[in-house]
Amino acid sequence: MTHVVSESCIRCKYTDCVDVCPVDCFREGPNFLTIDPDECIDCAVCIPECPVNAIFAEEDLPADQLHMTQLNAELALLPNWKSITKRKTPLPDADDWKDKTGKLGELLR
Amino acid sequence: MPTAAPIETDAVVIGAGPVGLFQAFQLGLQGMRCHIVDALPHVGGQCSELYADKPIYDIPGLPFCTGQELIDRLQTQVKPFAPELHLGHLVSSLSAQEDGHWSLSTDQGISFLARTVFIAAGVGAFVARSLSLPGYQELVGQQIFHAAPHARAFEGQHLVILGDTDTALEACQTWRQGPQAAASVRLLHRRDQFHADPKSVQNMKDACSENTMHFTVGQPTALIQSSSPAGSKLTGLEILNHKGEREVLKADALLMCLGISPKLGPIAHWGLAMERKQLSVDTESFATQAPGIYAVGDINTYPGKKKLILCGFHEATLAAFGAAARLYPERQTPLQYTTTSTHLHKLLGLA
Repeated sequence: MTHVVSESCIRCKYTDCVDVCPVDCFREGPNFLTIDPDECIDCAVCIPECPVNAIFAEEDLPADQLHMTQLNAELALLPNWKSITKRKTPLPDADDWKDKTGKLGELLR
Repeated sequence: MPTAAPIETDAVVIGAGPVGLFQAFQLGLQGMRCHIVDALPHVGGQCSELYADKPIYDIPGLPFCTGQELIDRLQTQVKPFAPELHLGHLVSSLSAQEDGHWSLSTDQGISFLARTVFIAAGVGAFVARSLSLPGYQELVGQQIFHAAPHARAFEGQHLVILGDTDTALEACQTWRQGPQAAASVRLLHRRDQFHADPKSVQNMKDACSENTMHFTVGQPTALIQSSSPAGSKLTGLEILNHKGEREVLKADALLMCLGISPKLGPIAHWGLAMERKQLSVDTESFATQAPGIYAVGDINTYPGKKKLILCGFHEATLAAFGAAARLYPERQTPLQYTTTSTHLHKLLGLA
């Protein structure tokens, strides 16, 4: 099992989650954070940190987000997606995007 | 670091969460003396730190209790064995001795020579959150603090308090008025939302309208320092404000109230077999591959592992039996029950 970042994070990247991760399992892409499933220990500490509730335990993923488990794993392997361990400024228009759904097409690799 | 003689003991338990406390109890039943070390200044681990007031429903025989209540009960239970607690200590090193003992040392300069070690470290040691800014570490204890070093530490200074916790709001209250008052108090947080008592938030907002302090929404981006022959000195904090513009807040001191979060820390570097950053154990005695080192609770992994407190209790029990068998191979005691065993009653201080 792992924890999974859902589409809500796309174009927001608040990064509150990375501060609390005890095993530094977050990877940062241009406009999304992903969890490396080989590193995540399912401690769940990150879940309440996300201001847009983007993180779920794999088995709690909403039905329309099930594809994100596979996508998180794929993105974590991309060489340009580096480990992020300290929070940083969210994307400039994060607040405009945080409540939008169906953002998958916006994801940059 | 002070170099006092190491404490010799049967066992060191790393972590004073529910499983660590119960480990000490089980070691007591095996007649083993133990010391417990934890990075937090209090016992309870995640139970006390993350869900002290939240309910737990799956402890056998306890239909309902809160995280803190469970910890209180475990402390009562372990009392007869009086394990020595070393709180506020992070175990920084663990190494094997030639005679089979384990040498441990803490970041506060205590060292142990232990016959067995029980790692009950959960998701790691809770440490204060900090910022990742160039020059930050050098200023910690000089102009950047995780707690006020003394009651008048910020008197007459321009103080920036960072965070959204009750601690942050209390600090605003403390330093904005009174004889110890700072020259100015500014609370900085990335959002206008707080993890704190709504009343304290209102007090802070009232104080802002009375102009006795300020609140800024923003994200720190750099430490502004002036350098002189005497060294560099913090004069301000550059932030990206809510409009996305750079702004410099005047600051003689920063008080970090960002809360704490667990970090696996040094455990990963002790040469123990790990899988996905958890310690691999056998399920007979929850021993790691290193002789005399056991791992129990959330820190370990094995086929079928479930991160439940009650599973940690089972693990701690079998680990204590495993360690006793290793330490006292000549002992051929049959399994004894606390209900009837006069030997165990003696250990529990009942007989």
